Amino acid sequence: MLLEYGAESRLIEQISSRLGVALGCTSIEISLIPSAIVLTTLIGDSSVTTTRRAHEQPINMSIVHQIVTICIAAEQSPRDIMMVERSLANIHANPYPAWLIVPMIGLSCAAFSHLQGADWPGFWITFLAASVGMMVRRALSSRNYSLLIVFAFTAFVCTLIASLSFYHGLSSTGRVVLSSSVLLLVPGFPYINSMLDAFKGYISMGWGRWTQATLLTLMSSLGIMLAMGLLDIKGW
Amino acid sequence: MMVWFTLLLNSVWAAIPAVGFGMIFNVPRSTLPLCAVGGAVTYGFREVLLFNHLSIELATFIATTAIGIIGVFWSRRYVMPRPVYTVPSIIPMIPGTYAYEMMISLVTMNSDGVTDALLSSFIQNGLHAISILFAIAFGLVLPSMYYTKRKKPII
Repeated sequence: MLLEYGAESRLIEQISSRLGVALGCTSIEISLIPSAIVLTTLIGDSSVTTTRRAHEQPINMSIVHQIVTICIAAEQSPRDIMMVERSLANIHANPYPAWLIVPMIGLSCAAFSHLQGADWPGFWITFLAASVGMMVRRALSSRNYSLLIVFAFTAFVCTLIASLSFYHGLSSTGRVVLSSSVLLLVPGFPYINSMLDAFKGYISMGWGRWTQATLLTLMSSLGIMLAMGLLDIKGW
Repeated sequence: MMVWFTLLLNSVWAAIPAVGFGMIFNVPRSTLPLCAVGGAVTYGFREVLLFNHLSIELATFIATTAIGIIGVFWSRRYVMPRPVYTVPSIIPMIPGTYAYEMMISLVTMNSDGVTDALLSSFIQNGLHAISILFAIAFGLVLPSMYYTKRKKPII
């Protein structure tokens, strides 16, 4: 029982730290704040309380998926602590290669601009801006800068490139180009997660994530404003 | 006929961002096609609703609720946490342009002085952006709230 619960609680810790959803068992109490997890495991008369600090990680759904898979496997064959530990050690990040993700993001933002009615030069400028922005974002992230700085600088670069569209009237829909080339910075997951948390009763988690998402948005708008002030765009 | 063709084409365009953002969020490789389908379906559904003269907020809300419910089925079937499908699918509906216009008018008000036109553009675009965001969030939350009513987890 002890070992099984140990395994279960670790799963709860990891899944909940990402999703804010506790898979509660009766004898495990868990308390979440945005930066740490307090976990009490109760076995018979004795209880074990641990506090873990949650570090900021880039969003990685495949790790979450693997943990959930392990959790389900553990439910099907309880008390198999060795199997759980082995598979937990085997979790790997499985990232997409840069040569694939950069053009895809460029294409995504270009598709956004197309959906919002940009013309073809605008389409290609958005593609260029978003691709370069993604490269900058990856480069800065790999150097372990703070996420806020990464977002601000990426928005700055994106806006600089996207403002090419005002140059000699290269594209007649410059505003759409500008707005859609920074869309790669939308913090979709923090927003949605914060809403889910708050609606399910984890108010403090929800607020924490909401603040984080808002800060990220603010920083990217700061980058956009900097670039605009620098270039003094008079397109609007 | 022409309208339906345009709508279909737009849905295909909307599938591209869904896949791209799925890659940013690093979803498992096997789910990428479903993300694309989700993005296309959600965007197409919203277009249909808009075409029937619903307001954009209401259309967004209904479309996100639909993808939330579809996501529940998919996540059961493929043993996957639901946000893997739902969040990339709603990305094409993010009100980027409205938020951007709001910010532009804010900056202009700062530099050129406040005028009535700028103020009304600021408030209107801001309200649009915020209400669409809330519609998206609430639409995604609704199915999972229904399912958390039961004690059993979804997957």
